[in-house]
Amino acid sequence: MSEQAAVLGKFEEYIAHLGERAPAQQGSDDERLARAKQAFRAGLDGAMAIDLECCIHCGMCAEACHFYESTQQGKYAPIHKLAPLRRFYHRELGPLRWLFRLFTRDISLKELGEWQEFVYNSCTMCARCDMICPMGIQISPMVGVMRSGLAAAELVPRALAAGTLEQKQQGTVFGTGAAELVKTVDTLRQQGLVVNLDKDTADIMLLSTAMDVNVYTRSLAGMVKIMNGLGVDWTLRSAAFEATNFGMLSGDREAEEAATRRIIDEALACGAKTIIIPECGHAYAELRWEAANIHGQPLPFEVVAISEFLGRELQAGRLKLKSSAIKQRVTYHDPCKMGRLGGVLDEPRALLDALGVELTEMESHGATNYCCGGGGGVMLIEGAAMLRQRAFEIKMRQVDDTGADAVVTTCDSCRTTFITGAQNANWHTSVESLVELVAENLED
Amino acid sequence: MSNSMTLAEILERRGVSRRGFLKFSAGIASLMAMPPSMIPRIAAALENARRPSLIYLSFQECTGCTESLTRSHAPTLEGLIFEAISLDYHHTLQAAAGYGAEAARLQAMEENAGSYLVAVDGSVPLADPGYSTIAGVSNVDMLRETAEGAAAIIAIGTCASFGGIPHANPNPTGAVPISDIVKDKPIINVSGCPPIPTVITGVLAQYLTFGKLPELDDLGRPKAFFGQTIHDRCYRRPFYEKGQYAETFDDEGARKGWCLFRLGCKGPVTYNACATLKWNAGTSFPIESGHGCLGCSEPNFWDKGSFYDSLSATQWGSPANLGAAALAGAAIGAGSAMLARRQQKKAQEKQS
Amino acid sequence: MTLLDFARGPAMQWALIIFTIGIFWRLVGTVLLYRRRDFSQPRRKSGLPDGARAIVMRSVLPPELEHNIVFQHVTGYLWHIGYFVTVLFLGTHIPFFKSLLGFGWPHLPNAIVMIAAAVSLAVLVMLLVRRMLHPVLQKISTSDDYISVIVTILPLITGLISYANIGFIKETNLALHILSVELLLLWFPFGKLMHLFMTFPSRYQVGAAFGRRGVKA
Repeated sequence: MSEQAAVLGKFEEYIAHLGERAPAQQGSDDERLARAKQAFRAGLDGAMAIDLECCIHCGMCAEACHFYESTQQGKYAPIHKLAPLRRFYHRELGPLRWLFRLFTRDISLKELGEWQEFVYNSCTMCARCDMICPMGIQISPMVGVMRSGLAAAELVPRALAAGTLEQKQQGTVFGTGAAELVKTVDTLRQQGLVVNLDKDTADIMLLSTAMDVNVYTRSLAGMVKIMNGLGVDWTLRSAAFEATNFGMLSGDREAEEAATRRIIDEALACGAKTIIIPECGHAYAELRWEAANIHGQPLPFEVVAISEFLGRELQAGRLKLKSSAIKQRVTYHDPCKMGRLGGVLDEPRALLDALGVELTEMESHGATNYCCGGGGGVMLIEGAAMLRQRAFEIKMRQVDDTGADAVVTTCDSCRTTFITGAQNANWHTSVESLVELVAENLED
Repeated sequence: MSNSMTLAEILERRGVSRRGFLKFSAGIASLMAMPPSMIPRIAAALENARRPSLIYLSFQECTGCTESLTRSHAPTLEGLIFEAISLDYHHTLQAAAGYGAEAARLQAMEENAGSYLVAVDGSVPLADPGYSTIAGVSNVDMLRETAEGAAAIIAIGTCASFGGIPHANPNPTGAVPISDIVKDKPIINVSGCPPIPTVITGVLAQYLTFGKLPELDDLGRPKAFFGQTIHDRCYRRPFYEKGQYAETFDDEGARKGWCLFRLGCKGPVTYNACATLKWNAGTSFPIESGHGCLGCSEPNFWDKGSFYDSLSATQWGSPANLGAAALAGAAIGAGSAMLARRQQKKAQEKQS
Repeated sequence: MTLLDFARGPAMQWALIIFTIGIFWRLVGTVLLYRRRDFSQPRRKSGLPDGARAIVMRSVLPPELEHNIVFQHVTGYLWHIGYFVTVLFLGTHIPFFKSLLGFGWPHLPNAIVMIAAAVSLAVLVMLLVRRMLHPVLQKISTSDDYISVIVTILPLITGLISYANIGFIKETNLALHILSVELLLLWFPFGKLMHLFMTFPSRYQVGAAFGRRGVKA
């Protein structure tokens, strides 16, 4: 744990300076506002229209949001994040737009600037508010539309903007390209692992992340070890190994689509029937649920999370784990993008069960779990550090109430948030990766 | 006819005892909500009253008001008083006809100029005065002529007070109430279709006693009789309050004497004395007999929808109207959505 | 024409017409907007069972979500139920619906309805005050929220006043009550009262969207 914490510390340094590489402002104020409006226009659809029509301003969404709950500040109410979008909808697309234009004011660039705090710093797009709204409004996808508007208006928080620019222009994340991947692969090979890199064809195309390549290497090693043990035909492809999608986080649609298309193209090129997502939440949401729409038609391959894949193999009897290997009392943290927004709820628990852990669920678990506070790119936003820590206190309480000694999760972002959060709060519950646990307890 | 005898003398002649006369005076006082100290004053006034001349004009009417006022199953004091008044002209009741009758009217007007009372029932047609004439004289002319020397005019019944049934939609005769034609004389509207006999007597007694008109509401009706709604004095009110209604005319609720609101009773918005004075010498009134109030003492009561539609059943239009409105709304909405879709499509194409 | 005649006649006709036009305009204009197709592989074949389920079950939240909103949830249902009991089951209201729809239904004793109305009014007023004092509601409330609640409260107040026979004469009280309902009808298509209709497709959507991903919402 401390070895990873040390590496993480270096990584934190890197992130702290990431914002310095943010792009300079290019468009005029009028251009930026116009582009934001076009992004809203393109992003809103009929389902969101019904949701926007439906809000009765009851404020219950705030009571599900970790940012509101930990600060009690009304401005962090989820629906408040959508105020400019709602007004835009009523004035431009809604059926009564001619009336609304008489009685409401237009959105302004200044207002969008004020909303940066609500749509990035204090929102992880975790969708817990979607679960409580009595009207059934899905606020979280509309925060996505807000982000696309702010991105078009060049109002993305600096760290995210810098990351997006790098991925757009160089195709890399955190300076991690094919060369860096090869270096890590070499290290793993030196440890005795067989790592398939750039096979011409394979049934399974494995993805990884800059975080795994640089920090959580044991997770990557774990995936490799397990897949080899299962004897499946898999490969990494250096031309498209990065599952992280900065465009998705920042709202830059162009960047989002480019990164996803690269992965799709590469999978098609190697004839993969399955893409496996590593321990990365937003990558799963993007590739499992959004990629087909970017592709414009159903994908010719399936997308599974590593935990999902392993759960499947376990159920089929092909994956055998050593039971009662772990003596600790454990709780499981569902990464929001995999659990609530991904539908991968049962497989991780099946794996933990097979590992023989004593699993105690948190009061809010599965589809209602609390976000760790770091998702949706918030982990990278320096200005949000205090907010994040406050929100994390809810998570700590949830874990403490279970009496667990360790939290298991399967997302790098969550893992990082837990580690840094624990450090800041002097919290001693350890955080484990599901994949690493499985890899360490394979039956020989 | 001469007015030499006083009212008291006439009543004595008819065999009404002094005691009976005082009892009647007390009754009138009570009716008019006057204190007991007023009884001697009423008695004295009535006693000494010279029989005032009353000219009764009947225009576009059904004679129901006269029937109501003069019906007496047994000799009642109301009937006697009425006869005791010098009724110098009345189509239905007078024996004379033709030139003789008209001459009687004109003579009474001349002899009692300035002091005679005019009672009118029926409305006056203005669309074509020829719709209703008496001895070749149109109603409007006769009214104007007769009203000129009158001390006061009593409009008897809803037709004379507000236009009544001839005035109802589409009002083909151009019927108007008396107050639309006579503007310079005091008018008391005693509305009702027909009005209650005792109300007339009370009004006359008031006038004979005090020489002036009773206090009137803003529709010109005496407040003593038209100051409260039927609803406020209805004996079935507890059922209204509890929410127990007759739903049809012979259901369990009807037989139990429950409230008739849902069978169209207009009691809550009708001002009259039916619930207290009742009809047929206090025998009953429509609600007590199981039928909702028609609101017959109110203006335009014929034009307020069915008598059997309750006040809550509004005149909301027709399903056809709302169907058309729905189609119109849907069409505009569809148009609006189509325009918005074009906007969105353009924006999406630009993005990709 | 008296005020009551106006309220029962032309005012009601026009209020209903504008209400009908507005409702259809707004509903059709929203529902026909462009919808994105989702090409991702669903976990369930059809969203219908999950959507239909959500329409009802969104009212029954899991305890870990419910315990933060119990007060609001309970009072919200309390006043809504009281309001509908009053509107639909007061004996003098049913002839109104019968004349509109062609059929009526049994009514409740006035005593029960009046209690429901009074509780509904008290809760509405209390929630209005809460809206003005709560940090979240202060931030997110718009003029629509205030207009809508006033327009909702007026029929209750005028109805209770008419029932209690205070204020003006019965005819005027009745007229004001019917006019206040017409005001509600006129405002309905333009404000958040439309959630009466919109809630159903919206809840369906969230159920279907999450159900598609294999999550119960």
